[in-house]
Amino acid sequence: MAPEERKAGRSAGRARAAGTVGTVVGDLEISRAWLVDPYAGREGPGDIVVERGVITAVTWLTGAAAKGIGPDGVVVAPGFIDLHAHLREPGFEDAETVATGLAAAAHGGFTRVCAMPNTSPATDDAGVVGRVRSAAAASGSPVALDVIGAVTVGRAGERLAALGEMADAGVVGFSDDGAPVKSPVLMAHALRYAGMLGRPIVEHAEESALTAGAEAHEGLVAAVLGLRGWPAAAEESAVARDLALLAQVVRDVPGARLHLTHLSTAAALDLVRHAKAAALPVTCDVTPHHLALTDEWVAGARRWAWEAVDADGAARDPWTDGALVAGPYDPACRVNPPLRDPVDAAAVRAALRDGTADAVVTDHAPHTVVDKEVEFGLAANGISGIETALGVLLAAVDAGELTLPGAIVSLTAGPARLLGLWAGRPAPAGLVEGAPADLVVFDRGERWTVTREALRSRGKNTPLAGRDLPGRVLLTVAAGRVAFTDLE
Amino acid sequence: MTDQPTPASESAVVIGADVTHWRHRHLLDVDTLTFDEIDLVMRTTDAMKEILARPIAKVPALRGRAVTILFYEASTRTRVSFEVAAKNLSADVVNIAASASSVTKGESLVDTIRTVQALGAQMLVMRHGTSGAPYLAAEHFNGNVLNGGDGWHAHPTQALLDLYTMRGRLPGGSLRGRKVVILGDVLHSRVARSNIWSLTAAGADLWLCGPSTLLRGLDAWAGRAGGFPGHGRFTVTSDVDAALRDADVVMALRIQKERMDSGLLPSLREYTQRFGLTLERLAGARPDAIVMHPGPMNEGVEIDPAVVALDRAVITDQVTNGVAVRMALLYLLAGVHAEETADGA
Repeated sequence: MAPEERKAGRSAGRARAAGTVGTVVGDLEISRAWLVDPYAGREGPGDIVVERGVITAVTWLTGAAAKGIGPDGVVVAPGFIDLHAHLREPGFEDAETVATGLAAAAHGGFTRVCAMPNTSPATDDAGVVGRVRSAAAASGSPVALDVIGAVTVGRAGERLAALGEMADAGVVGFSDDGAPVKSPVLMAHALRYAGMLGRPIVEHAEESALTAGAEAHEGLVAAVLGLRGWPAAAEESAVARDLALLAQVVRDVPGARLHLTHLSTAAALDLVRHAKAAALPVTCDVTPHHLALTDEWVAGARRWAWEAVDADGAARDPWTDGALVAGPYDPACRVNPPLRDPVDAAAVRAALRDGTADAVVTDHAPHTVVDKEVEFGLAANGISGIETALGVLLAAVDAGELTLPGAIVSLTAGPARLLGLWAGRPAPAGLVEGAPADLVVFDRGERWTVTREALRSRGKNTPLAGRDLPGRVLLTVAAGRVAFTDLE
Repeated sequence: MTDQPTPASESAVVIGADVTHWRHRHLLDVDTLTFDEIDLVMRTTDAMKEILARPIAKVPALRGRAVTILFYEASTRTRVSFEVAAKNLSADVVNIAASASSVTKGESLVDTIRTVQALGAQMLVMRHGTSGAPYLAAEHFNGNVLNGGDGWHAHPTQALLDLYTMRGRLPGGSLRGRKVVILGDVLHSRVARSNIWSLTAAGADLWLCGPSTLLRGLDAWAGRAGGFPGHGRFTVTSDVDAALRDADVVMALRIQKERMDSGLLPSLREYTQRFGLTLERLAGARPDAIVMHPGPMNEGVEIDPAVVALDRAVITDQVTNGVAVRMALLYLLAGVHAEETADGA
């Protein structure tokens, strides 16, 4: 680390005065850091001062004052927004609670999280929405919680849930995530009705007839390991169906809006690219694990996706190039959609670069040991990922696969724009004087090890366990209050 | 038991094969075995065959050793083969038929493994319907794990007994350049998957043949840029005549009725017409080509009874060699303990 950056790190250390979690930031000065503000479309060296929870000074440094400050040291960015997380409450509090989920979010740099409705009972009426909100209020966390309601009653795919009542209760969208809206008839109705309410359908695109019993992405790894193939076509045919339904519905319900979540294949993203070019009201997101991890990990490889392709962009063979460093069948690598091949992962990164993908979401899916540390074929799907999202994206930045501002936009202005489209949410102010402090401070020069102890989430299910990630989060401030602090 | 001689020290006297080069604590698949290690299994199997030829086919190599045979899938031949092998080596054998119901009742595999261990098991032979399950068992078991078949993934003792049987029958005892055909339901076959590793490592010209629905995904494997230890590639085809032409070994795999119910095949009759191993089809192979089947057979479906009756059908040899190979593997693994493993567990 260069002396200047070290100094920046020490300067950030003065944020001790920021106080303990939940309290209003009294007096915080971060000097000589790299500020990234996607809302203003600006990045560079600067100082920032927070007093009584409000940003009171932002000084962009130039000339001699800026000398030696780069984007490799302490970075300050607006708080991250996760449009897709499973907080498991009510019903699965042994896997996660709203309180532990928000603590994990803050550790990951997030200041706003959308909770998915696959709870028990499902978040399918205003009453359950209220329960989730109360849990957030009771947690004392300053991290903002938004709720995504279920599309169908009990997420059973048979009747529409109380969409209007939930919209009145402030949900930002509707999803049966974990499963698709199986019936095309009901999907069309849902797009229409939610469109009337000015809310999107957030669709988990999967043709479940093609994935019954499926275990791993259909390809080399599944063939060798004898795992039931999970075909890319299951996602692509579902995306095609949803886009066709949207094109139909939008003719008489202009407010209809489709958001495809956690897309993972090259062809699915191509379909969205074309639909956007045709001006359909569709958006989509991708996850850190689908852009950086691949099905090789199921076989025991632990290299990043961009290291798993050769110079021509073709997938390499982990069996012959010595990439298999861990045992096969680690259930922590089991997720829905499955980790795809290195070519799909490259397409996910390309979609993020060209704007086809509007945001990165974590699809944070904590699970208990009982559900996860079992035979691969019987393990629950999902990765506990809200605390590792930043590190994974920074690894992609370090490799030149993404730019630093690009990665930050995908966690801030990208999702913020979607919340604007979905629920009329005004965009956060960003790093400007007079705005409530809502920001994350992380040190790109400092790595941290992903361990069970390091994770605030109850879900320790991550294939990144034991790995060093770049960009330790030092401080997260949400709405002027300390959400996470790791300052000595 | 501390005053008992270890199997390794007895080996010089009893078995005669040099086991000091064996370093694997578990046998989960054949993909981690080097050519030399496979050769060591073959030579140890030779020694076991000699023991089996004795009037009393029993040696004290594993006396006092507790072997637990844990099968989550119904099986007669493999389970009994392991049991006979272990008993020939004087091991104490416990059989557990774990039903699927214990799984549905919420009894986890890890919990079962810990229980089996607490009850004194030192070696665990395991069959499970889920691919990869023995890898999980090996993480939690302090002794040796032998995979007796997992899902569609691997059946390493079968692949090794197949190799042993081929080497015994082929002139010169070598697979190098020999054309070996595996015919049938490759998709669902752990036997085929393990054989891909061991036969390509042994230098065979391997062909996988069957209806396209039962070869799903195998092309990705066959077309890999790299190779295995030995050479590498194999051929995947639905052209049964091309596959059988001048073959040295033909191995038919069982076709299960449920493949029709799931829409993978129109009918068993049509399978037999197009892919059944008949004398007419076999005429395309070399005249001395040997015929194999891992069993259980559906005679008249995937293989014609007239083919089974040929002298060069070595299906019963496979069964007897299976006992010898499993004796060899139990013996080799028993000499490796947790602190000296090469398997990283």
